This record gives sequence, C-alpha cells and structure tokens, in this order.
Amino acid sequence: MTRLILALAAMVALTTAALAHSKTDATTPAEGATVDTVEVIAMRFDDPMRITAITLTGPDGEVDLVRETGFDPVMEFRGMPGGAVAPGAYTVEWRGLASDGHPMQGSFGFTVAD
Amino acid sequence: MEGLAPIDGWAFVAILAKAAGYAAALVAMGGPLFVATFRSAPGGALRLARMLAAGAAVVGLAVLAVRFGIRSARISGMGLDGAVDPIMLGLVWDSPLGTAALWHGVGAVLILGILIDGAMGLSASLLGALLVAVSHAVVGHSLGDPRWLLGGLVGAHLLAGAFWVGALAPLHRAADLAGSAALLHRFGTIASGAVAVLVLVGLTFAWLMIGSLSGLVGTAYGWTLIAKLALVAGLLGLAAGNKLRLVPALASGDPSASGRLRRAIRMEMVAVALILLATATLTSITTPPVNL
Repeated sequence: MTRLILALAAMVALTTAALAHSKTDATTPAEGATVDTVEVIAMRFDDPMRITAITLTGPDGEVDLVRETGFDPVMEFRGMPGGAVAPGAYTVEWRGLASDGHPMQGSFGFTVAD
Repeated sequence: MEGLAPIDGWAFVAILAKAAGYAAALVAMGGPLFVATFRSAPGGALRLARMLAAGAAVVGLAVLAVRFGIRSARISGMGLDGAVDPIMLGLVWDSPLGTAALWHGVGAVLILGILIDGAMGLSASLLGALLVAVSHAVVGHSLGDPRWLLGGLVGAHLLAGAFWVGALAPLHRAADLAGSAALLHRFGTIASGAVAVLVLVGLTFAWLMIGSLSGLVGTAYGWTLIAKLALVAGLLGLAAGNKLRLVPALASGDPSASGRLRRAIRMEMVAVALILLATATLTSITTPPVNL
C-alpha cells in the first residue's frame, strides 16, 4: 500500500493535467470592439470544438450565417454573414461540444459603426 | 465566480439526471461486489443485492438514454425539439458520451448475469461492473492528460464507491436479521480499506484537476469540491459511528442497536445522494482550474 501511494505520488508530481476543455481564446470581431464592417465571424479555441448552434443577432433581428467550417470539430470556427450587416450592436451566441464530450456555450458582442 | 458555466433549466436537469445515473451505476456495480465478497450473508440480504443491482442496471440504461436527449437539447439551443433532433443526437453519439454509452450498455447487460445462480453469472456481473467503471473513465474531465492515470483513478474511485454504496441497502436489510453482527463487522473491516482507496484516489484526481491552493478557493470547481468534501466528512463520521459504536452494540446483544444502525444507514444513503449531486455539479458546469 505504501509503495502504491509513493508510486502514485511520484506520477502526480511529474505530470500536470493538460487541457480537457476548450475555451474561446479570441474572436473576430473582438469582444466589445467597434468595427466598420463584418466580413467574417470567427472564434478560436485551444482544443477542437464542434460548434452545434450559432446565432448572430443585431438591431434588425437575426442575421443568417453561412458556416465555412460546417459541423466538424475545429480549432477555428468561421461563418460569413449572409447579407449586409447594418450599423448597431450585435451579439453572437454559440453552443458546442468539447472534445471531452462536455456541452459548451458562450457569447460575445460587438458594434458596427455608422 | 471563475470557471462556472451558464446555468439554465437544461443544465439543472442535466445535473439531476447525471446524479441519478451515478446512483444507478453505483448500485448496479455494487451488487455483484457485495454478493462476491459476502457469500455467507443472510439470504434476504443477498437476494436484495441481486434484485437491486439488476433493477439499477436497467434504470441506468434508461437514465443514459434520457441524458442523450438532454445533451442534444443543450447543444442544439432548440430546447425540447433539440432533444429528439437526429442530427444533434448523432453528434452526441459521436462524442465521448457515445463511447461511454457502449461500454455502459455492455456492462449493464453483463450485470444482469447476477440473476443467474452460480459462478458464471456472478463472474459475468463482476466483469459488467468493471465495464461500467470504465465507461465513466472515457468521458469528461478524465480525458485530460495524463489520461491513463486519470482514467485509472476514476475507475478505482467508482469501484470503491460502488462497494460501499451497493452494500447500504443489503446491510440495512441484514441489520434486522438474526446473526447479522458478523456480516456487519466484516463489512466494516473491508470498507475501511475501500474508503482509504476512495479518498486517496479522489484527492489525487482533485489535485491533478486543481494544482494549487488558489485554484481550490478561487474557482467554482474548488468550491463545489469543498462542498462535496464536507458532505463526505459527514458520511465518514456516520460510517465511523456505525463501525465503532453501533455494530459492537449489535454484537453484544443491545436490543436497540438494530434500529439505531438501520436509521444510521438510511442517513448514509441521504448523504450519498447529496454527494452524488455535488459530484454531478462538479462534472457538469464547472471547469477544472488547470484548464482555466
């Protein structure tokens, strides 16, 4: 038993747990940014993430997003607005499945200037 | 608080379903362990252990199916419609939860072998218990690095926990039967070892997930773990009282000991339920500090 504990302690001391979750490192546009135009909505993760749902909501309601990366697990998700993006405040809300199976969700906002 | 996921109604339902799944898995795994360890236990206690294990194995599969629907609803953002959406269900099936479901499904069917008398049935059910333990090691936080160590710790934690949790109802039944003091005494001796494993591997896993004192007191994961440990301390106190006080009283022929012991075991069951809720919260809506 003592030997088992020592072996376990040694293994623990020699290792650090790596990432089991992926989190959003950065987004385009950046959280809270004011931009002139929106060509792409992008989110970068530090571990593959399968984006299962995403909505872009602005002053005129929901804006269609054309997924460039589909449903595959990706380190960077990209989607293009389907039409013109009018000036105003926008929110992106997303849901996804992390590679460890956890359901994830998040949101970020930005403003399109006049 | 850092590392806390957004909590909506679906997250709440997911936690309840996961805790129910943990309870079913532990009872289903614990039955074969009880029968294999205490073959000379009173017939009534062994029968109850067999029936509960088989029932829990079936209930566990139903809970797993419900959890697929809940997860599908959560990732779709479509509510109840998402729970039965074939595309979303397919994505969940492709995720580690699908792999876990396969291991769990085969394990649950093998556990039903406990209903068959003889060594073959018991061996099948013990293998089933092992597979259900493995099913919990192939999903979630145990998929971090070092994966084999984390998975092994989770498996050992579950088997030791199942030995204890699965024995509660049969021991509750046995405490009412004549000649049960020897069984209860023997359980207390073996459980001391199982609890040592349970606590040791649990704390090792927690250490790998947290990594620092600030991670413990500065994050949602840390505080949920502290809540779980407080409940565990209460459970250990109850168990120690049973082993050191009530079981010796039962052995010495104290007429009130049986009733007090049965009440204490029922309180242990309540403590276990709360611990499973804390664990489901820990594994559902908090991020381990090492991943922040």
